[in-house]
Amino acid sequence: MATDMKVLATGTSVAPRSRLRTFVDTARGGFWLGWKIESNWTDAFRFLTYQIARPVGGALILVFMYYAVARGNRGPVLGFFVVGTAFWPLVLGGVQATVRGVLEDREAFRMIRPIYTSPISYRAYLLGRSLAGQAAWGSAAVFVTLAVGVIFLHIHLTITAASVALVLAATVFGVAGILAIGLLCVGAAFSTTHDAWQMPEAIGAALFLICGAIFPLTVLPAALRGFGAAFPLTWWLEAVRRVLLPSNAPRSFPSFGMPAVFGMLVLTTIGGAFVCAGLFSLAERRARRLGKLDRETAF
Amino acid sequence: MSARTLTEVPPRPGPYVRLLRAVHGRAYPRVIGVGRDKTWTFYEILLPLLGTFAFVYVYRALHAPERFVGYVIMGGATTAVWLNVMFMMASQLWWEKKDGNLELHMMAPCGLLPILLGMSAGGIFMATVRATSVVVLGSLVFHVSFAPTQIPAFILVFVVALVGLYALGVALSSLFLVWGREAWHTTQIFMEPVYLVSGFYFPVRVLGLATSAVASLIPLTLSLDAIRQLLYPHEHPKLLGVWTEIGILAVLAVVLVWAARTLLMRMERRARADGTLAQGY
Repeated sequence: MATDMKVLATGTSVAPRSRLRTFVDTARGGFWLGWKIESNWTDAFRFLTYQIARPVGGALILVFMYYAVARGNRGPVLGFFVVGTAFWPLVLGGVQATVRGVLEDREAFRMIRPIYTSPISYRAYLLGRSLAGQAAWGSAAVFVTLAVGVIFLHIHLTITAASVALVLAATVFGVAGILAIGLLCVGAAFSTTHDAWQMPEAIGAALFLICGAIFPLTVLPAALRGFGAAFPLTWWLEAVRRVLLPSNAPRSFPSFGMPAVFGMLVLTTIGGAFVCAGLFSLAERRARRLGKLDRETAF
Repeated sequence: MSARTLTEVPPRPGPYVRLLRAVHGRAYPRVIGVGRDKTWTFYEILLPLLGTFAFVYVYRALHAPERFVGYVIMGGATTAVWLNVMFMMASQLWWEKKDGNLELHMMAPCGLLPILLGMSAGGIFMATVRATSVVVLGSLVFHVSFAPTQIPAFILVFVVALVGLYALGVALSSLFLVWGREAWHTTQIFMEPVYLVSGFYFPVRVLGLATSAVASLIPLTLSLDAIRQLLYPHEHPKLLGVWTEIGILAVLAVVLVWAARTLLMRMERRARADGTLAQGY
């Protein structure tokens, strides 16, 4: 970016960049902006405390629910809870940051017009904002919650080079799924007024149930189970749990082997990305047609 | 219009009339808004309800007794109240500041407290509608029935807890008045950690007596425990007796109302002096 400015200052023409490069640069810009907004409101210690308090609190709720019923007995289901709550903040952070980014640009900073009309991909910008939210709200939470599980709850996690690689591979697809859902929510937020602020939290709560974030999908009614299986997040959590937890841990898809779980993860992520991108385009076109893109609703 | 009308000074209403008018004026949009724009039922009742259902399925996965399902549904209803206190009371002045409406509130000839009282009245109405919906829908879906054993005690717990909670909301709103962006992040930290220490989804006794005692400073803790005792008198592992809890809740409510008034006046003065009243971000 600095080089571009120098070239512009000397009056020479800027070499055209590929579309991919422009997309990545825009996403990087969105990430940088999102990270600054999420993190520079306080010092590093307070920031970290705030980021881990919610997920650790969420994990401990499940632990105490478990102890209220099991009365001190430890079982494999405890690991299931901890892994689910450890990775869930990535979902909440990603969806919340994307929607809140649009709403703040529209309602608070009033920057949506210059951003939307600038020669960048608006989607790339939103993806960058979502990734910043995931990094800010989810990254520390994953490690801290898993560490709490291992140290204080004596949960056995399989940590080897191969398992870490598999978890990272699955998480790449999980993150892609979160980005897709974030785009979908932004599409809905274009046409929603003040309720849009509550939307990320509400969508997160619904996905919490549908994707079996904290319980095996086998306990859900069959129709809901089928619906949940259409989401990449469900397969992502299942894949991560299979890699990290021992074989006696509960499973959402007991009849599926590991390759089938990874296959479904890839398939649902690609399918979900196409569907969400398509719906986002439709919502974006509709919002432009109706003049809703920059319409402020907080009056 | 006659000259007499132009020069005539309308009689100034007394302080109580002004107070009631301000309360009514601020409560009005919240009460009317419930029936006007129905989209909130989707985002604020149906979708969050699914999150509550997730906890029911956790107990189902653990083969827990049926009363635990009742615990979760009551916890879900309480979540509706707590979210209302946090987002529509505690952070409301911050939202107003951000949107540029706070100066209008400050200039109104009634003071901030009646406006916050009106917000509380409207908020209590909204939260009650939402909490009732959670209980009704949860009971229908999971076939749970609630039969409180002592109706007067049940109503008393509910009323005293609401007074305490909304006073806490006013007290927090005064803090949010002087905060900038940290206000939003603070609302986030008051979610799961509060659900945990107040025992939203499990009997608070499980946390141990010391933690439960500290958590009782939030009116939710004792009110939930009392409500569960009244719903499941024989099975629920109680923290204290119902009437002791009602007594503590009443004392808490008085203290919190006093704290809310004092804090609000102090913080308003400080925000004026520091020039942070109109500083949204």
